[in-house]
Amino acid sequence: MSTPHDHEKREPDFGRDHAAKESPNDLACELLAQSLVAWRVAGSVARADDGALVIAGTGKDIRIERAPPHAMFRWTVTVDGRKRVAISLVAVLRQVREALDPGYAAIRVRIAVAPLVKS
Amino acid sequence: MNEAGGKLRQGRRQILKNNPMHSIPVSVLTGFLGSGKTTMLRHLLGQPEFARTAVIINEFGEVGIDHDLIEASEDSFIELQTGCLCCKIRTDLAQTLQDLLRRRDEGRCVPFERVVIETSGLADPAPILQTLMTDANIAGRLMLGGVVTTVDAVNGAGTLEREGISQKQVAVADRIVLTKLDLAGPAKPVLLRRLEALNAGAPVLVADHGRIDPARVFNSGLYDPRTKSTDVNAWLAEEAHGHAHARHDGDIQAYAIVRREPIQAVALTLFLEALAEHCGNDILRLKGIVNIRESPDRPAVIHGVQHVFHAPAWLDRWPSDDRSSRIVFITRRVPRRWAELLLAAIGDEVADVPVGR
Repeated sequence: MSTPHDHEKREPDFGRDHAAKESPNDLACELLAQSLVAWRVAGSVARADDGALVIAGTGKDIRIERAPPHAMFRWTVTVDGRKRVAISLVAVLRQVREALDPGYAAIRVRIAVAPLVKS
Repeated sequence: MNEAGGKLRQGRRQILKNNPMHSIPVSVLTGFLGSGKTTMLRHLLGQPEFARTAVIINEFGEVGIDHDLIEASEDSFIELQTGCLCCKIRTDLAQTLQDLLRRRDEGRCVPFERVVIETSGLADPAPILQTLMTDANIAGRLMLGGVVTTVDAVNGAGTLEREGISQKQVAVADRIVLTKLDLAGPAKPVLLRRLEALNAGAPVLVADHGRIDPARVFNSGLYDPRTKSTDVNAWLAEEAHGHAHARHDGDIQAYAIVRREPIQAVALTLFLEALAEHCGNDILRLKGIVNIRESPDRPAVIHGVQHVFHAPAWLDRWPSDDRSSRIVFITRRVPRRWAELLLAAIGDEVADVPVGR
């Protein structure tokens, strides 16, 4: 099970350049656990025997699985038995957030009309 | 004035209006109630460097007082009294700035070379910065010169303890100015520690009865009009070089993410989008220099306030031998680890996307 404080046991700069050091599932597991912290949602993330990531303690039954090779998407997210595909971890986060946080309304980036510096 | 002189003046106005090299810096002067903003501004406006300054004062309350304390040219001085700048009258602010520019273009006011917005003591500066970044009618001609926050040395520590808005005013500052040291004596370590915890990157200056060197206070944005250059290291300040030393003060946290490996442009875009999507309201300020894989010799500079971001600015060259990406976050309870993992996960997923040049 991954808890939000696992990273404190690792080297301080673990976050740097570490994309190549962990498998996608490890990264996804810890990202999901930290996402719960960021969203201020109680719960935990664990890996099931079949490799799926399971979010527990939230009142929802959520499973996240890697898509099979050559699929057009990378992940599937199952919330209370309803399965949806996700093309990226960002999309996974959005689906999980929508499931766990009823008041959630995505905020879209707005781009400033003026340049940051003169060019 | 003779006809030739009039045409010359008109021509100069047209050049100033159309030339992007003459963007006018806008400084935001903020600080909690009674922290000495108006006293300092009154002193600054008496300095030759501030002779051509337009001032916008936002007062909270039915009867404005602060403007009576400021001696400034009537035609470049505007008081907004309809409420708190941050939450009620952003449209008024944009309109006011447009009117100021129009009057300047038409020669109906002093051809000011700087704008100072003094917020009310209860204002959240972030929405004001957003207005400057997003209003199409003003953003092309005005640029953010920096955020200056006054802190009262007598009551500042208590105010920061009690008032969340005071913490936010300090957290987003480019410069912090301590006031009322004549009453408080030397700055108390507890206050200095608090300021450092909230915003270690901003230099802490001292105003003596409002007196302070103008050059040290303003021009604290990425572009320095004095040197006509960008000083990204000073702009990013200490946070970007503090590496793993995250700082936090209650809900507000400041930290830097450092990555030695270049970041694909698409990954940076997706990262900023995801930050805004999930924590847009809690990103008080974000600024950074990024090594983009597609542009190894020209780093990108990014700046955001909550969910509003500038398009990246591309520097001609790296400011030093350090080519690592450094992104400084000032947030309200956005875990550093989450931001690190999000960037790593997105970078991992887009790694197989072809890199264009």
